[in-house]
Amino acid sequence: MTDQPKSSDQVRFLDTIRAALGRADAPPVDFQSVIDNDLEKTYKDALAAIANRTVDQKKELLKNLEQAAQPLNLKVKPVKDIQTASASIAELVQSKQPEWGTHKQVVAWQHPLVEKLDLTALLAEHNIPVVFTEQLSEAATAEKIEKHRRQVRQSCEDAFIGVTAADFCVAETATLVMKTRPGCARSVSLVPSIHVAVIKLSQIVSNLKELYAHLSWDFTHKAEGLTNCMTFISGPSKTADIEFTMVHGAHGPREVYIYVITD
Amino acid sequence: MVLINTEKYIAEAKEAMKDSNLQKALSSFQHRIGPATAATYQKLPEGPELRLKAHDMRMRAIENLDVLLEVLADNIHRRGGRVFFAATAKEAVDYCLQVAHQHRVKKIVKGKSMVTEEIGFNEALIAAGIEVTETDLGEYIIQLAREHPSHIIAPAIHKTRKDIGRLFADKLGIPYTDDPPTLTQAARKALRAKFMAADMGVSGCNLACAETGHITTVSNEGNIRMSTTLPPIHVAFMGMERVVASLEEHDILFRLLARGAAAQNMAGYVSYVGGPATSDQSDGPQEFHLIIIDNGRSRILADVEFREMLCCIRCAACLNVCPVYGKIGGHAYGFAYSGPVGAVVTPLLVGINRAKDLCQGETLCGACQDACPVNIDIPRMLLALRAKLADGDKDWNVVRNSLAEKVAFQFWAWVISKRARYDRFLQLGYLAQKWMPGADGMISRLPLALHGWTRSRDIKSVAKASFKKRWQNRQS
Ligand code: SF4
Repeated sequence: MTDQPKSSDQVRFLDTIRAALGRADAPPVDFQSVIDNDLEKTYKDALAAIANRTVDQKKELLKNLEQAAQPLNLKVKPVKDIQTASASIAELVQSKQPEWGTHKQVVAWQHPLVEKLDLTALLAEHNIPVVFTEQLSEAATAEKIEKHRRQVRQSCEDAFIGVTAADFCVAETATLVMKTRPGCARSVSLVPSIHVAVIKLSQIVSNLKELYAHLSWDFTHKAEGLTNCMTFISGPSKTADIEFTMVHGAHGPREVYIYVITD
Repeated sequence: MVLINTEKYIAEAKEAMKDSNLQKALSSFQHRIGPATAATYQKLPEGPELRLKAHDMRMRAIENLDVLLEVLADNIHRRGGRVFFAATAKEAVDYCLQVAHQHRVKKIVKGKSMVTEEIGFNEALIAAGIEVTETDLGEYIIQLAREHPSHIIAPAIHKTRKDIGRLFADKLGIPYTDDPPTLTQAARKALRAKFMAADMGVSGCNLACAETGHITTVSNEGNIRMSTTLPPIHVAFMGMERVVASLEEHDILFRLLARGAAAQNMAGYVSYVGGPATSDQSDGPQEFHLIIIDNGRSRILADVEFREMLCCIRCAACLNVCPVYGKIGGHAYGFAYSGPVGAVVTPLLVGINRAKDLCQGETLCGACQDACPVNIDIPRMLLALRAKLADGDKDWNVVRNSLAEKVAFQFWAWVISKRARYDRFLQLGYLAQKWMPGADGMISRLPLALHGWTRSRDIKSVAKASFKKRWQNRQS
């Protein structure tokens, strides 16, 4: 598919650029020659530092994360294990009130870590349903896909809390990093009024450089690429468009919680 | 149907300076964010010199734009996205209209994007009977008030909470309030309905990464994520210069962008979008179109004197420190881009004669370059534009601003090139000033075209003998 014929608009457009650069007739320039290899290497080197990190150093990162999160109004909740996380999230779900209706419903990713929370059982006794954004089989018909997409949209609209995992969390900027994968609908971290993310301590990286080192040089991440949509979330939605007064909850979630499992 | 009001610069500037609310807002905004941005540069782990490195990176990208755009397009095609290369504003708008018609699009939600202002997107789509809703709170306020944004990052900077309260009471039918959280909640509710009902989402692109094949969008409100996740089609517009080679360069420029734009280390939401949703994903747009726009940029690229301007990442840091912008606000600049960046880019895009007041209005103080995250030498280019206006220029179709001015300055150059000639000129001045009004050794009105110099101040009269003469007399 790479070598599909170039569209005429592209050919004409790029010819104009080449002429403007004074290289209309010059041989084509190789993309690799435009890349700054020395710069890339400094990122690769960052990976080694990450690999040798001790548990204490990782806990230090958690502290940094908490510090960076505070001014953003992002709540970081360290918990010792997944059971504690579940109990704490269940409590949160009970204590919060829905923004748009009266009915309480939770929507969650179909993701191993999120499923392990077992929220369905915990919340069943309070009559709060938990809907998972299931992965469609690749063989699904167009009709089935349409129906599935409608259902997922509806459950995200109906839910007041969305529960997700994340790929990484950057301590320095308090940023959740999420690639898009089947079963992990984008709307779960976007449409409900409250977003809850669950991560493991080992997923915290120190800064953006370390994040990009992972994304570019870590074998599995490199192979996967950034996917068709990689999202960074640093705290709840905010605006200061009315006389510079900071208000949370402009369009996205009004509250964001990150549960960090430390064991 | 692109709105260009650059000819009204002087009149609009005068209006703006009388508007006390605007003056207050501008000064408070500049005081808040200007120094804060400077401080964030100091705290960069690589040090403030990163700005210079970033300038080189941007220059290298611009000088290899053909290569980068081709790789970007290939990578997006590979994920099933479409890329359209638009030579003009009209081509860009027409392509989008065609996509809209194909899918019977009735309602569009839109994230803030300067380039869509530049190409007159909203006007064209609304004329075609399509509802276009701006979703950034500031832009939404401006759209409800039927105005144009006055700042790249803070479009509604010129409106008070009372203005907005009255506007919302009128347009959204809510009880009057001037409480920002209540007003924000009202907009949140109204816009949520728009997001859910939209058939198409439109965004700009802050900076694309060629190597990975992604555009990036940035917001603090989450409106761009909403616009590009919920509707079935996502159309993104990008100026052709907004691309870098690798993810690592993207990291560096992005960190600088967040600092320049809002003195933040990181914006609330950043998305790397590289194509439509796959069939096994439960949401996200099923079609993704990227429209890459030239619209006069290749002409800037071809001129090495102005090529540097294409390094701009439209962060608005230069607006936040500019003493001229700080007084006249964004509307006076009469086009999508205001402040120092507008003073250079607008003349190059719409015509140097047509927008001459923009580049002549700036002070050349250099604050913009110091604030710019990629260290663009705006003062140099302002001077280059003025030189074109003084002499005329065939390549840019510039007609000389004023022949009389040119002749006067050439005469002056001739006068001061010889001491004896200059002395005779002073002598003449000494004699002539007897007929000019004034008192106590000051002249209050110079004659003819020179009277501009004395419009708001008096000027010292010419002494009988020059300093040099008197010095010589003392020595002998
Ligand atoms: S000229 Fe520099 S400071 Fe001004 S908008 Fe462009 S990048 Fe930002």
